[in-house]
Amino acid sequence: MPTVMEDCVGAIQHRFSPYSFNGGTLLAFAGSDFALLAADSRLSEGFGIHNRNAARLHKLSESCVLACCGFQGDCLSLLRILEARVKMYKQTHQRPMTCPAIASLLSQLLYSHRFFPYYCYCLIAGLDSQGQGAVFSFDPVGSYERVPFSSLGSASAQLQPLLDSQLSSGVQLSASQAEQLARDVFVSAAERDVYTGDSVQVCLVSSVEVHRDSHSLRKD
Amino acid sequence: RLAILPSIIRGDWQSHTQCTNPGSIQTPLHHSSSSQTVKKVIEINPYLLGTMAGGAADCMYWERVLSKHCRIYELRNKERISVAAASKLLANMVYQYKGMGLSMGTMICGWDKRGPGLYYVNEEGTRLSGGMFAVGSGSTYAYGVLDSNHRPDMTPEEAYDLGRRAICHATHRDAYSGGVVNLYHMQQSGWIKVSQNDVSELQYKFREGN
Amino acid sequence: MALSSDFLPWPKEHAPGQFYTFPVGGSVADFGPITRTQNPMVVGTSVLGVKFAGGVAVAADMLGSYGSLARFRNISRVMRVNDYTVLACAGDYADYQYLHDIIEQMVRSKLNPLWNTILVGGYHDEESFLGYVDRIGLAYESPVVATGFGAFIALPLMRDAHEKNPNMSKDEALTLLERCLKILYYRDSRAFNRYEIAIVTKDGATILPPASCVTNWEIAHFVRNE
Repeated sequence: MPTVMEDCVGAIQHRFSPYSFNGGTLLAFAGSDFALLAADSRLSEGFGIHNRNAARLHKLSESCVLACCGFQGDCLSLLRILEARVKMYKQTHQRPMTCPAIASLLSQLLYSHRFFPYYCYCLIAGLDSQGQGAVFSFDPVGSYERVPFSSLGSASAQLQPLLDSQLSSGVQLSASQAEQLARDVFVSAAERDVYTGDSVQVCLVSSVEVHRDSHSLRKD
Repeated sequence: RLAILPSIIRGDWQSHTQCTNPGSIQTPLHHSSSSQTVKKVIEINPYLLGTMAGGAADCMYWERVLSKHCRIYELRNKERISVAAASKLLANMVYQYKGMGLSMGTMICGWDKRGPGLYYVNEEGTRLSGGMFAVGSGSTYAYGVLDSNHRPDMTPEEAYDLGRRAICHATHRDAYSGGVVNLYHMQQSGWIKVSQNDVSELQYKFREGN
Repeated sequence: MALSSDFLPWPKEHAPGQFYTFPVGGSVADFGPITRTQNPMVVGTSVLGVKFAGGVAVAADMLGSYGSLARFRNISRVMRVNDYTVLACAGDYADYQYLHDIIEQMVRSKLNPLWNTILVGGYHDEESFLGYVDRIGLAYESPVVATGFGAFIALPLMRDAHEKNPNMSKDEALTLLERCLKILYYRDSRAFNRYEIAIVTKDGATILPPASCVTNWEIAHFVRNE
């Protein structure tokens, strides 16, 4: 990754790097009949903030949402391909792709770049075919797992232990409790992680709708 | 006869560390949270199990491809694939990618006409048949327990206990291993899942009751 | 039985046992310890862009730096793409000229980057557009953007102005850009006082004739390294 000062004066870089890290933190919970995703909206690079209003939650179907962070350029192209494949599936089979099927597709897409990986941390959340909340957590080369809750990205090391302590006993959160917890942990993450902040986008997937909301975080 | 397949753990399972090619592109992967719950035993079909160690994505992907080939073999030949053939398919597939940075240490275990079979296959294409293997970062610790307590005439219950103990002690000494022990028993009628135990609870149990 | 040819999701150029190189067909030597240095040669510094009510404006100064030499002092770095699109470009000037022909190249996938950061301004369906793209494919839209050193010096000023006045007029936007260019000229050693601004509104895209910042160096003699 180019250092900031080299980059800003356009000075010598010894080798072109096709990657960069643009920060961002993701979070998702699976409830009994809902899934909740949250992501911050800060797009940064080095010590600079490119954009305070970046989109990290992308609706793929009526019951499935993708959250993606890491290198934003890769996130963009991965999203473009995934959206196209989901659309093709729908046109071929005359029914929307289920959330577990999209997760499996994403795994294959990520692994297809095994030797030049998409530098993306992805979460897929939504409802499975039984209407239960589902969260799938991915690594950049396509290994994935269905989990009750997960956090990825720059502040995941802060969030994951907190979620473990709050949720691993198997408590079932209601949608509003989950949303409140998501907002709270993002406030904490924004306190300590410089790559997380500006605002947190929350997305609640239920059988009724995909509901979006936004709450501001600290901007420094 | 029986073959016990404890899930042997290489905990650096976030494949990130290994996901570069030997050319030059380094993925600047920063942080990673590993999982405690991931299933390191992959159920290929009712008579075949594979274990994961090394790159999680590599194991997951290639064992899924393997399960596809095993199913196609079954449909074409009207009989199940042998453990030897299945493990050889996997070894041949990953051998094509030798030197390209795959990371995969796996055991293929199953039951066929010849009885129980156990093979070790890794990313270099090495394929070994044997009666007992431990794979991954904690394997040396596991071997210590296995070798000192193994007898050829063990009952299933004794073997279950030995498997759990080996994993449990490995997780105790190896920083990259931990979580749960998934224990499977491969029988003539296919595999059964014997137990799933949290290692921290097992460690207390072994310490008290020995 | 087909073993591996029918399910591989990547190209089949890789023979068994062969070392993998990227791009395909390249040799291992390309990626050895000593590798090609990809230097930008003649470079332009920051470019700025801002949206205003009914349009968008992008600005760049006219200096092409050659290392620390202010080599070309009257080169244009803004471009009119079509009636409703303009583009301004920081980074290597030769690559910028090349870009004239191949604006929609997929630059990153070949590991043969064009060493530029590009701002695109446009106007369509009564809405102004301002976007940022860099050499590795990072891309976003924002009401104010700045690249390079400008992201540190000018962007906070532009964000502040935009926050206080989100619906600024064309003249206010131009004044803001001129002020930012002047401040960059004071502090960025690779900036220049001669600049161009491109504007897109419903009436189309125009590049204003080159102009110069009026600067004041009266206080300069107070700044000493002692």
